[in-house]
Parts: sequence; structure tokens; C-alpha cells
Amino acid sequence: MIETIYIEKKIKNHPRTKSILKKFKKSRFIEIDKYAEIFNKRNQNFRIQKANPNLILAHKNDGFVLRAPEGFGIGSSKNFYFSHMYNCIYDCRYCFLQGMFSSANYVIFVNFEDFDASIKNVIDQNINSKITFFSGYDCDSLALENVTGFAKHILPLFQQYPEVDIEFRTKSIQREPFMSIEPMKNVIMAYSLMPDLMSSSLDNKVPSISKRIQVISDLALRGWKIGLRFDPLIHGEDWKSLYENLLEKVYNSIPLESIHSVSVGPLRFPKKMFKDILKLYPDEPLFTSPLASSKGVVSYDEKIEEEMSSFCKTLTLKYLDNSQIFRCYA
Amino acid sequence: MNKSELLYKMSVRWVIALKEEAKVILDYYEMALINKKTLYPIYKNIEETHWLILSGIGRHNSAAATSYLYTISKASKWTSWINIGIAGSGKGDYGNIYLVDKIFNQNSYITYPATMPKSNLPKMSLLTTDIPITDYSSKELIDMEGSAFFDIASKLTSKEFICIMKIISDGPENNIKQLTKLRIIELLKLNLTKIAQVVSYYENLSENENQIKAKPDIFFKISSNWHFSVTQSSQLENLLRRLKVFCDNNEIMDLIKQCKSSSSVINSLNNKIETNKVNWSDV
Repeated sequence: MIETIYIEKKIKNHPRTKSILKKFKKSRFIEIDKYAEIFNKRNQNFRIQKANPNLILAHKNDGFVLRAPEGFGIGSSKNFYFSHMYNCIYDCRYCFLQGMFSSANYVIFVNFEDFDASIKNVIDQNINSKITFFSGYDCDSLALENVTGFAKHILPLFQQYPEVDIEFRTKSIQREPFMSIEPMKNVIMAYSLMPDLMSSSLDNKVPSISKRIQVISDLALRGWKIGLRFDPLIHGEDWKSLYENLLEKVYNSIPLESIHSVSVGPLRFPKKMFKDILKLYPDEPLFTSPLASSKGVVSYDEKIEEEMSSFCKTLTLKYLDNSQIFRCYA
Repeated sequence: MNKSELLYKMSVRWVIALKEEAKVILDYYEMALINKKTLYPIYKNIEETHWLILSGIGRHNSAAATSYLYTISKASKWTSWINIGIAGSGKGDYGNIYLVDKIFNQNSYITYPATMPKSNLPKMSLLTTDIPITDYSSKELIDMEGSAFFDIASKLTSKEFICIMKIISDGPENNIKQLTKLRIIELLKLNLTKIAQVVSYYENLSENENQIKAKPDIFFKISSNWHFSVTQSSQLENLLRRLKVFCDNNEIMDLIKQCKSSSSVINSLNNKIETNKVNWSDV
């Protein structure tokens, strides 16, 4: 239940605003000039807001499509991302959003058509390169699909560009619009996964791993390409057997020919972000792990990172080709 | 931890314009005038968890009193701040209490307070004016202090710890001239149960935040045995926060009892973290 929805005056009559507001009949609506009046102001407490986040409907003015950070990709020469939303309905303790924003309220940008124009523009400018777009870097790309309809909106655009890939990265069990439309070869449905034991402690408010695997299986059988994202890799007692069980379960639950790619990524935080997150959640068991700071990044020891990545890669190679496996460092 | 220990850790500060608006609150939370010469009348309870200042009418008074109370009462970053009082209204129901989630003043500056979640109390916007207004048309709530209180309080704490409540005392059908001191007290009394429910939320919020943010007890013990630089103190605090999730105080003291210097304390604690493997089945 969203108690309060703040609406930028500029988009209060936008058809998408009206359609979203219809879904929140009991909420209080407050008009604002700019979303920055509410979002990410100083003196806000992310953790307290996260317990009962409000929603902000806004107009994005610029920065619709951005270059993905180095080390973030699945084989294309150029990677871009866009976010129609800031923040996430889930509450994962390793998530960088909790250190990036001081506010936990959700911002939805309703001017999807401006995203379309920017995406087309980027495609036109990179006509000779293999490019991949990532939807939902600053949010979960599908978790609020039933409210925003963003995936449903953006898919037809990518139908026009079959040579350009788009990845929807999610932890949700959202099936629509994907079960209702014909699968597209350039769309990758990417799922973040970790062993159930770790997920039940770290992935708060998130569908269980078994539910996620069920949806992956359903979408794969429908013909969609699947991305498996073991990112971040989490260390702890018995991590090897936990990851072995997870990987075996995944590779034996879904048709292997549907798997587009697998990526493994270490747990990493910029130093300042880690400090802020630790202040928010000092009692979090994850932060009692052997994390150390080096060159402005807080992460597991390089040996641990390497051992975990290699272990998962070796197991994956029993099922998939080396060319399908990527290391993510972003 | 018993109830009294918990109470000592929460912290609430009240900023109220008039004695009549404060009377019911002072009685309910058992606050008495402090025995000290102060710029504004200040009250507190025996446990010193609740403090209340009578600011007088107007934005300047409210801002100054809020700031003054912060200093006098040594309020912390996780103190909850509450402003309650009567308000005119052209829209709400006479005698009802409202939470404020939007404030504007006559120079059109707008702010958006956070409000207590999941409250049954209705919410309204508040116009803070410098002169009394009797044209209530189209205004939800009208007062003379709210915006200044919020502006100052939001510099002292996160906005989630600030609450403004207003009780409608006058409007198009309830002439302000008929408002008496007794009637004001009566209006507050009629809403006391609702006020107490809201305040209970802010007490808990402050208490929880105190538990999260306060330095671990063992930090002070260790700091008194070795000399730490400012940077080392910060390192020590962070390490202890992480260690106390899986070690008790005795284990931590055992780890460092042979240490000759502060840096060897830091190293020993660091080593303990570096070799820890989280047992996810215990979490």
C-alpha cells in the first residue's frame, strides 16, 4: 500500500500518470513542482523510509540512456542502460541503491516516449557496433511492471531492431507481458540468483529462489532467452555446497538451449557507499564477512573472489559453453 | 532490558506556542517546569525523555524556541520533534486532529514533511502566515508557526523524526473570537488518545534509532584502556559494530587483552573479521 503519491505538476495530466493513479485509489495525492523537492534531499533516513516508501511520479528531463560502467556486459562491444524508475520495491542488503540514494521513495518517470527517442538515437549512432541495452539499472526492471507497464511499452521498439539486444534484469516473478506475446530473439530475461539460504536472509521482500526458478523455466519453455546472474557471489560457511546445489538445480530445471548467458560477479561496494550502508544496517551479518577496502572499493579478498568465480564457472562449464560465461566487475 | 531502561534511550522534544495548547500534554507526560532561568519556559519529565518548550506565537518565536530547546536539552540526531497546536481551517472538521504533510508560507516556499506511516489520522496541508487570517476559503489548515518549526527541526534531525499535528479550532462557522483558553484545553483533551498513539510511534522510532546508532558499550571500555587517534576511533567503532553481530563482549575482550597498543587492538579485531565465515543457516 502506497500511502502518498507525489505528482509533478508538469505531468499531472499525462495519460500514463492518470492510468497509474487509477491503481492507487486509497492513496493521498500531493502535487509538487519537481521530484527533487522530495527525493534525495539531505536529512532523510533511507532505512526508515524503506519501511513505508511513497511514490513520486515525475518527468525525466535528460540522461535517458547512459553508457554502462566498465565491466558490465554480456559480450557486446557497447553497453548502455536506462532506468524508467529510481529505487526498488525489494530490500536486498547488498544493493547499491541503499547507499546511492538518501531516499527510499520510488520515482517513476512517466515520459517513456523520451526514452524511446534516446534509445533510437543511440542505436542510430552505433549502427556498426553490437550493442546491448540494460533496462533497470537503478531499479528492478520488472518488479513494478503491473504499475508502470514499461516493459510492455518498450518491447515493440526493440522489435524494430532485432540486431540490438535488450536485457531485463530482475528478481521478480512477473510473467507479463512476456507470456502473452511472441518471444523475441534480442530480448534477454535475466534473473539474479543466489543460494536459497543466503537469499532468505539477504533478499528481503523478494520472491523465493524456487519461485524465480519456476518463472525462468516457464519463460524458457515459452521461448524467451534466459540470462542467469550469479551476482553478487556471497561468501560464508559451506558456500561451495550451497552454490553447487543452486547451480545444479538451475541447470537441471530449465532447457539449456534457452540460456543466453551466465554472469558471475563479486560483492563490491565503493568505500563511501559501504560506510553509509554499514551505518544504516550495522547489525547485518553480511557485513561481518571478510570484507576489506582496497583502492576505494570494499570487497572480499581477491583470493576469495577468484575462488568463488572459478568454482561457479567450472560447474557451469559442465552445461554451457565458455563463450556464454561472463565475469561482471561493475 | 527493562521498560525504564528503554525509555531512557528514547527522546522526544515538543515545541508548542501556547500554554493552553500544552497543558494536556504536560499533564499526560508528567512534565514540570525546569528549575533554571531560560529564555522560553521549558518543561521536562523526570526521565528527561520528554522536553517541551512554550515558544509563543509566530514564526520567529517558533524557530528560535526550537533551536533553543535543541541546545538546552542536548537533543540527539535521533530525537523526535513534535509541534502540536490549534489551527484555522476552511475545509476540515471542527475539533478534529490532522497530520501535516505539506507546508507553505506566504512567500510560496513549500516543504513536505514525512508523516507517521499507517496512521488513521487524516492528513492536510498547512499554510503558515505571519498575521492572523480570517479568510479561510480554500485553505486546509492555517497556523503561525508550523513552517518555521519544520525548517529548523529538519536541520536537527531526519525529516522522518518530525511531526506536526493540528487541531481545527476555528473556521468559517466557528469564529476565532469565540475561542477561549478553556476551549483550547478541551480540544486538546478530546484528541489526547490520538495524540498519544502518534507520539508512541515517534518514541519507538527514536528508541530504535538510538539502539542502532549508539556506539557499542564495549567501545567505551576499550577506548579507556588504549589511546586511539580520531581515525582509529572511527575504525574501532566500525569493527566493533560488525564484530558484536557474532561475538559477545567477553570474546572481544579476550581477543585484545594481550595488545600493547591501539594499532594492535585494531589489527586483532580486523583479523577476527577477516577469518569469519558467516553461517547462513544461523542467520
